[in-house]
Amino acid sequence: MFVLQRSGGGKATSSPAENYQLARRRTLQVVVSSLLTECGFESAEKAAVESLTEMIQSYISEVGRCAKAYCEHTARITPTLSDTVVTLIEMGFNVNTLPVYAKRSQRMVITAPPVTNAPVIPKALIAGQKRTHPSHIPSHFPEFPDPHTYIKTPTFREPVSDYQVVREKAASQRRDVERALTRFMAKTGETQSLFKDDITAFPLIAARPSSIPYLSALLPSELELQTLEETDSSEQDDQTDSENTPGNNLNDDPGADKENSMLPPGGVVPSVKASEENMIDNPYLRPVKKPKVRRKK
Amino acid sequence: MNRKKDKGFESPRPFKLTHQVVCINNINFQRKSVIGFVELTIFPTVVNLNRIKLNSKQCRIYRVRVNDLEAPFIYNDPTLEVCHHESKQRNLNYFSSAYTAAVSAVDPDAGHGELVIKVPSELWKQGDEMNVLKVYIEFSLDQPKGGLHFVVPDVEGSMAERGAHVFSFGYQNSTRFWFPCVDSYSELCTWKLEFTVDASMVAVSCGDLVETVYTHDMRKKTFHYVLPIPTAASNISLSVGPFEILVDPYMHEVTHFCLPQLLPLLKHSMSYLHEIFEFYEEILTCRYPYSCFKTVFVDEAYVQVSSYASMSIFSTNLLHSAMIIDQTPLTRQCLAQALAQQFFGCFISRMSWADEWVLKGISGYIYGLYLKKTFGVNQYRHWIKEELDKMVEYELKMGGLPVGSNGHLTCPTPHLHFSIKHPHTLSWKYYKMFQCKAHLVMRLIENRISMEFMLQVFNKLLSLASTASSQKYQSHMWSQMLVSTHSFLKSISNVSGKDIGPLIKQWVDQSAVVKFFGSFAFNRKRNVLELEIRQDYTSSGTQKYVGPIKVTVQELDGSFNHTLQIEENSLKHDIPCHSKSRRNKKKKIPLMNGEEVDMDLSAMDADSPLLWIRIDPDMSILRKVEFEQADFMWQYQLRYERDVVAQEESILALEKFPTPASRLALTDILEQDQCFYKVRQGACFCLAKIANSMMSTWTGPPAMKSLFTRMFCCKSCPNIVKTNTFISFQSYFLQKTMPVAMAQLRDIQNLCPKDVLNFILDLIKYNDNRKNKFSDNYYRAELIDALTNSLTPAISISNEVRTVDNLNGDVRLILEEITRSLNMEKLLPSYRNTITVSCLRAIRMLQKNGHIPSDPSLFKSYAEYGHFVDVRVAALEAVVDYTRVDRSSVELQWLLNMVQNDPAHYIRHKILSMLGKNPPFTKAAESPLCNEALVDQLWKLMNSGTSHDWRLRCDAVNLYYTLFGLTRPSCLPLPELGLVLNLKEKKAVLNPTIKPEQGPDTTEMTGITMGGLITMETVSSVSMSSGVAPPPQGLKRKLDSVVGPLGSSSPEPGQVLQEEDTSKKFKIRVRISSAEDEIDMESPHDSQAFIHHHLNILERPSTPGKEPPAVDQAVLSLPVTPLPSSFGKESTSSSKHSGDHHHHHHHHEHKKKKKKKHKHKHKHKHESKDKERDSHAFSNSPASGRSVRSPSMSD
Repeated sequence: MFVLQRSGGGKATSSPAENYQLARRRTLQVVVSSLLTECGFESAEKAAVESLTEMIQSYISEVGRCAKAYCEHTARITPTLSDTVVTLIEMGFNVNTLPVYAKRSQRMVITAPPVTNAPVIPKALIAGQKRTHPSHIPSHFPEFPDPHTYIKTPTFREPVSDYQVVREKAASQRRDVERALTRFMAKTGETQSLFKDDITAFPLIAARPSSIPYLSALLPSELELQTLEETDSSEQDDQTDSENTPGNNLNDDPGADKENSMLPPGGVVPSVKASEENMIDNPYLRPVKKPKVRRKK
Repeated sequence: MNRKKDKGFESPRPFKLTHQVVCINNINFQRKSVIGFVELTIFPTVVNLNRIKLNSKQCRIYRVRVNDLEAPFIYNDPTLEVCHHESKQRNLNYFSSAYTAAVSAVDPDAGHGELVIKVPSELWKQGDEMNVLKVYIEFSLDQPKGGLHFVVPDVEGSMAERGAHVFSFGYQNSTRFWFPCVDSYSELCTWKLEFTVDASMVAVSCGDLVETVYTHDMRKKTFHYVLPIPTAASNISLSVGPFEILVDPYMHEVTHFCLPQLLPLLKHSMSYLHEIFEFYEEILTCRYPYSCFKTVFVDEAYVQVSSYASMSIFSTNLLHSAMIIDQTPLTRQCLAQALAQQFFGCFISRMSWADEWVLKGISGYIYGLYLKKTFGVNQYRHWIKEELDKMVEYELKMGGLPVGSNGHLTCPTPHLHFSIKHPHTLSWKYYKMFQCKAHLVMRLIENRISMEFMLQVFNKLLSLASTASSQKYQSHMWSQMLVSTHSFLKSISNVSGKDIGPLIKQWVDQSAVVKFFGSFAFNRKRNVLELEIRQDYTSSGTQKYVGPIKVTVQELDGSFNHTLQIEENSLKHDIPCHSKSRRNKKKKIPLMNGEEVDMDLSAMDADSPLLWIRIDPDMSILRKVEFEQADFMWQYQLRYERDVVAQEESILALEKFPTPASRLALTDILEQDQCFYKVRQGACFCLAKIANSMMSTWTGPPAMKSLFTRMFCCKSCPNIVKTNTFISFQSYFLQKTMPVAMAQLRDIQNLCPKDVLNFILDLIKYNDNRKNKFSDNYYRAELIDALTNSLTPAISISNEVRTVDNLNGDVRLILEEITRSLNMEKLLPSYRNTITVSCLRAIRMLQKNGHIPSDPSLFKSYAEYGHFVDVRVAALEAVVDYTRVDRSSVELQWLLNMVQNDPAHYIRHKILSMLGKNPPFTKAAESPLCNEALVDQLWKLMNSGTSHDWRLRCDAVNLYYTLFGLTRPSCLPLPELGLVLNLKEKKAVLNPTIKPEQGPDTTEMTGITMGGLITMETVSSVSMSSGVAPPPQGLKRKLDSVVGPLGSSSPEPGQVLQEEDTSKKFKIRVRISSAEDEIDMESPHDSQAFIHHHLNILERPSTPGKEPPAVDQAVLSLPVTPLPSSFGKESTSSSKHSGDHHHHHHHHEHKKKKKKKHKHKHKHKHESKDKERDSHAFSNSPASGRSVRSPSMSD
């Protein structure tokens, strides 16, 4: 097969595949030139020769392609003469004229193209053993495709169960995450530094006053609450008395919780609610009275 | 004080308060202002009651009406500015006496007050009929600096959404800061309290909430409280805010309030309050006296706990979730303290300040009983020991701490730089130690009369009080609700039949503690223990003890108690031993508690049967014991004595015996999990110290490392710590402490061993709290503390600047950890930001040791308002330390600025007390910081800058004392006249003592003639300039001219004067130390008035009839000498002064008829005078170099 290449006569290119193609093309050029001489031309412009070469190359390529197509159509892998003949006929060429033309007297003999190494087809990745046919398959049948197309490569490794390593990993992972995170925060925000000469060395996220500092200092963070829930749920299996786990106080006991959270901030209890809560008589839960209507102050 | 021992309480006032209405109808959070009125119902107890004195500070009073008649009033607060007239005195003795005088002048316990109301004459007649007077006062408060604290966070939203709140606070009786009242603990009355607040807010106050009513526009509501139990105004409080309400699930009459979003924490923190209630009610066999109880948790609290009638205000920082271990006992203790004070302190009040110790003692004592029951006997005994040690240390340092009634009045306290006659003049530390001593004394009484009787006495006091409280005023029973030392002692003798008079005399009336030194020898022949107990009663703060003392001797055959009698001259005591020295290895040794144990007796002295000896094991004397016994005895004591106090004592003693045997004993204790955890913690630190002393002979891994590994690390991989569970609190505390103690280990180069450092770093690295239901924030914080402990000074070749490049490798690792932890805190803050606190401390330590450049800017940013209070305190501590180490005046200024301007009172207090603890310089050392400007600034701070906060003022006084001492600060230029005039009482006028300043060139000068003369002169100068400023020039001239001729006849004084004259270091100082004299209390007075009053008295004998002789003399002296023009100006100004003063005197004479207006005029004049004097002083100061007064000029 020809690979069309319009490198414009690239000179220094020296890969084997290119050399091979250049040699062929040069032969074709010689062919064209000799045909022109045959026809009586004494000289030709380079561009014209080039065009003709291109045409002839296309023609030959097309013949080759079609012949291969015919051959594959009949489930063969190597084209036979008849494939070529059919092709030529198909392309509108009178095959019968060919022998005469071939034997014409003024034909010029052209030297065979210089032998160059056929281009090496890069080898596919070899993965695993190539499998041979099993005995019940005749040897002429095509070979198995490359193993990489069908074998599976295990990406799973045996889990490390060594306690020490696990702890080590967990610790260093956490540390790396923390360091990366804090460095990121430090990079993206304001920082304070402990050194004057190198303010990037140990960057500290700048202290920022908050308007209600006690909230963040007293309330457990979400992360802590989460772990608390997790430890609780894991413990509940062996602890039937859920009252004893202190974390539950935060989440359970919904009755009391709601009753208070439903209070408007001022401690005003909706009258409906108040009647339900008659049990608890606390002055702060009582409804707020309406002012006495006074005519005159 | 009008207290007669037998007749109970007598009011110092000519009237009796029965009922008071407080109505605050507007609270503006935006402007931080309050408007309201009070109405006091009073019964005159004298005929013709014409003046009513009430307490009021910083309130603006609009009108006063008595029985609907407008009444004139005078409002004068002498404590606003203690020493009037910018004096150049600057000495603390002077200030303290002036301050005491000012506080006494308005002391409600003596019947005085800032607000004097003249009863309209129309009502005078009514006094005869003993009719009721109703005093109605309208007042407002604008941006109060004390008494009420507004917390208004600067965020978006309405005040309720912002969590804005306000609450009352104060130290001792401070209610006068927010409404006019009789601010005394002994003036009881019933109350009606009304607060109109925004509809989204709750007003919590004392007594029962009767109803809540909307205002007409429905935008506000009024909370009506009634307190039928007679209560002192000082026990009234208020807090208003958008509180979340929690009704106690166990006791419905108890209500808890917290700030928005904290309800879950409140629920958990309050879940055991009912147990405390039950405990107290049970031991006192008395119901909680009020019908309800309220707890309010507020931000920026003044103190952690403050108790008022039927409510307590706490710091919101006491709230915690179920995950927090360390805070839990602390919060419970605070609740228990608050509740104990409800019974004794709020319900039962005190007669006078001298009886305060009884209340503090009882509440502290029953709190101790609660501790014993809840936290165990070990914790209780540990606490007692801790309190005793603290108190003893303070007394030895300060030289005495009288708490009781007579002590206040009789015991002279010249060693203290503050007066103890008033609660408001006390140093805060003193007050804390006072409380400490009070409950320790109660415990001594318990030891004496038994707990049963003790509780009976309390019960009796309470039941008397509750009977009285239900009576009407007319029954005159209310004074039963007041406790006095006398009534307390009487109940004790009634109940127990014992006279504890001597005990009270020794520990209450008398200050000082006992210091014992013990040693012994064993006499083998007689089988007798010869014990020698010596006492040190000569050094300050100590007293001689005579009486019984208990000694416990542990012998081979058992433990034996001996009671020895400490007598005048007997030092030696022979104690017969019960057991022969022998080696019966099979026999077990019985201990004090009946337990029998096997001991390895090989370490013992073969000749002696003694295992260990303890002096006063029950701490039944307020003492310090230093006892000598052999190291093996201490080791036995540590291992086998079951009392934690004994164990702690032996740990302390073993520090002096760095031997393998001590090491073994300590290690054994560490491993013994039945041992009290605090003892084990103590053993850790002792072990570290011993290891350092044994450095050269120490074998094996660093101390405690293998122990820690065994206890807390994984079996399979000993270098990795187990994941946290913290189920066993004892182990938790030990796990926290061990690394901190280990970090104190040092190798031969005095560095922390590499092993140890890596070990700690690994602990941090492998710390894993994912499966823990408790927070590990305290643990992590202590690991950072451990890193801090491991730091040692950097080796520096020269004084080079610290850079990143020359950072030591280990330090780099430490710094990495600190940086990461501190940064993580920003993302996941820990409870109470404990880790930030530890990191800040660590950074300061790195700076101090020269590893990183010393720089306060980081700390300053953390100290800003808006950070959590613990963080601020830690940062401020670092700044204070920096100020001392780097002697930085910029930072000192910054701190002092914060003292003046910070919104949080606690922070202000903390800065001053930290500066006092870690002062930038002391009176003993020279420092560039010590300069005149600083003296002026501090003086101003305590003189007028802190008038709104008693505690802060006393803190400032303390700091002044630490920096400059009692006398004039050494950095000040010496005053103008080198004469000190001490006007002590009236005698001093006739024969005054003239003390020289501490100037280098002054000599002792005495002489009646001279004295008399100078007195005359100075008195007149005093009348011109209030006696404390550089005297006017004219006078000075006069003095010279008078002295001149005298000098020839009596050369000694004359010479001195001459010398001083040339050196130009003169000053007349007048010390009024007779301020407690009977003064005309009818008139509104201030220090100014005092001085004038005294001067009037003084002047009479010397210049009868002629009031201002000095003016004449001064003016007269002028023409004698030619003077520079400036001089002339000065003297005219001085004569103007005297003119003013003349006028002033005049005023004083007729003051009774003057009103407020005049007062203002006065002040204005003083100010202008001050200015004049300032310029004057400047031109006269020696530094100015002008020789106006040089002899050549006068010639």
